[in-house]
Amino acid sequence: MTVPQQLETGKEPEEEGSSLAVQVSGLTKIYPGGTKAVDNVSFEVKEGEIFGLLGPNGAGKTTTIKIITTISRPTAGAIRVFGVDALSSPETVRRMLGFVPQAISVDGDLSGYENLLIFAKLFYVDRDQRDRRIHEALELFGLADRANDLVKHYSGGMMRRLEIAQALVNRPRLLFLDEPSIGLDPYSRLQVIDHIRQLNRNFGTTILLTTHDMAEADELCDRLAIMSMGKIATSGAPKELKRSVGGDVLTVVASGKLPDSIPPELGSVASSLQGTMKILTVDGEKAIPRVTDHLEGLGAVVESVSLSRPTLDDVFMKYAQGSLQQEGTYKDARSARRSATRHGR
Amino acid sequence: MSSLQRSVSSAFTIAEMEARKLRHDSTELWMRTVQPALWLLVFGEVFNAIRGLNLGGFSYIQYIAPGVLAQSVLFIAIFYGITIVWERDVGLLTKLLSTPSPRISVVVGKALAAGVRGIFQGIMIFALALIIGVNLRFDPLDIAGVLLVSVLFAMCFASLSMTLASFLKTRDRMMGIGQVITMPLFFASNAIYPISLMPAWLQTVSVYNPLSYVVDGMRAMLLTGDYSGLPVDILVIFAFTTAFILSASVLLKRLIE
Repeated sequence: MTVPQQLETGKEPEEEGSSLAVQVSGLTKIYPGGTKAVDNVSFEVKEGEIFGLLGPNGAGKTTTIKIITTISRPTAGAIRVFGVDALSSPETVRRMLGFVPQAISVDGDLSGYENLLIFAKLFYVDRDQRDRRIHEALELFGLADRANDLVKHYSGGMMRRLEIAQALVNRPRLLFLDEPSIGLDPYSRLQVIDHIRQLNRNFGTTILLTTHDMAEADELCDRLAIMSMGKIATSGAPKELKRSVGGDVLTVVASGKLPDSIPPELGSVASSLQGTMKILTVDGEKAIPRVTDHLEGLGAVVESVSLSRPTLDDVFMKYAQGSLQQEGTYKDARSARRSATRHGR
Repeated sequence: MSSLQRSVSSAFTIAEMEARKLRHDSTELWMRTVQPALWLLVFGEVFNAIRGLNLGGFSYIQYIAPGVLAQSVLFIAIFYGITIVWERDVGLLTKLLSTPSPRISVVVGKALAAGVRGIFQGIMIFALALIIGVNLRFDPLDIAGVLLVSVLFAMCFASLSMTLASFLKTRDRMMGIGQVITMPLFFASNAIYPISLMPAWLQTVSVYNPLSYVVDGMRAMLLTGDYSGLPVDILVIFAFTTAFILSASVLLKRLIE
């Protein structure tokens, strides 16, 4: 993907509310031993959006997040978080962001309340706001009645909610979520997704998340990027990406005479066999009545029309899989994963 | 808040985190008193019968009381590296390091927490000494001094342990290194016998052993009341502590890279 290089010109023209939360350019991370975990990656996250970073295991997502959160240093490249250089002022950057790692990172030996209290202190949340925010967060996330229980007795879903509640106490401008719904049952997963959306809508928190769940990414993300072998394979809004792997497919079952072709503004006929016709089109829902009208105008009797759309899975398979076959071997993938594990998740 | 205020406040917050955990479950603290109790009650009592040692007029059990305290603090502190590796494994360390708090605060906070445990050990040794009738100097200032040295010493070895953890990186290796470090330090010190009894080469080693200075300082406050060596003792421990805190702060990120 190509991103216009943001040069430091002193002042940047503010376009209506579209300032940037994250600007990453030319990011490269080579681990000792030569594994290139991230290879010249550039992307931007706009303020107020939910941005997804997807990709197969070992694609470099977690490494990228670690570098933006200033936990790890890049081999090359530049990172700006709300305009602040993450390499020269890591502590200023860390004050603006919250991080929920992939593994559950709440402290099981403390109560839910204490977990929020300690991390609020470590984030220097004002003393006079601290307690009110903690109680609000516990209430909102349905943890108030268990606030004084040790977290090790919580369920996985409650622990995850506590971690996200932390963000409500600390009010970071940018929240990183690494696989937020991994290992959760469907109900807890829905709750977590709902809370993420609330944070984004009600508090304007910009969110950068990674996930393997394509349906979740489609549902939550305003924009996303797919990483593969340390590079960004493609990026854009979920809708655009789905369109890019091919349009919608209409399957028409009809009796009577079916044409071999239809006007191009309706789409194109992919196959027409024994009263079943497959039509490739751009905007499937709108095409249904028009195609039906057209076919019935020609004397056919349409019995049913079904629409199938490409999913993000198709996008993922195309870009992630494609680049694996192109330039990656099983051995590369394995060594990337191994070193990712060795250097911490 | 200035950045110094923030560092100090964060260090105390990390220590508070550990203290709160101890309040929820203090089983480990109590179990940690078994070993020093054995040293005093069994080893001390048995060797009390031997009069051949020149201990400056003190009984053997009096003589080893400061050594046993120093040793028990050492054993607690040296395992802090395992704690930090465990926190890395469960993802807590990553989260701690993603807060705006400076890294040195994380190290100092953990070291202070080791100090809290050190104080507990100190109190337990005093209590034991009272119960079994070991005559120590129970002067409030001396007690305060001994507890202070315990805190400093716990911080010293907790930070050394965290420094080592950033190289060794796994819990198993840290368990091993704990054994490798503690016993030689213990035997190459004046904890359970006077340095003058050691062979010449071991005497040289003991000069570079921080444990000797700790025991010497504690012994001055608990037994002899001769404070002439105390400034040097405290200065040496302080220097070691500062060096290890700085090295751990710089190297800690190796654990999560």
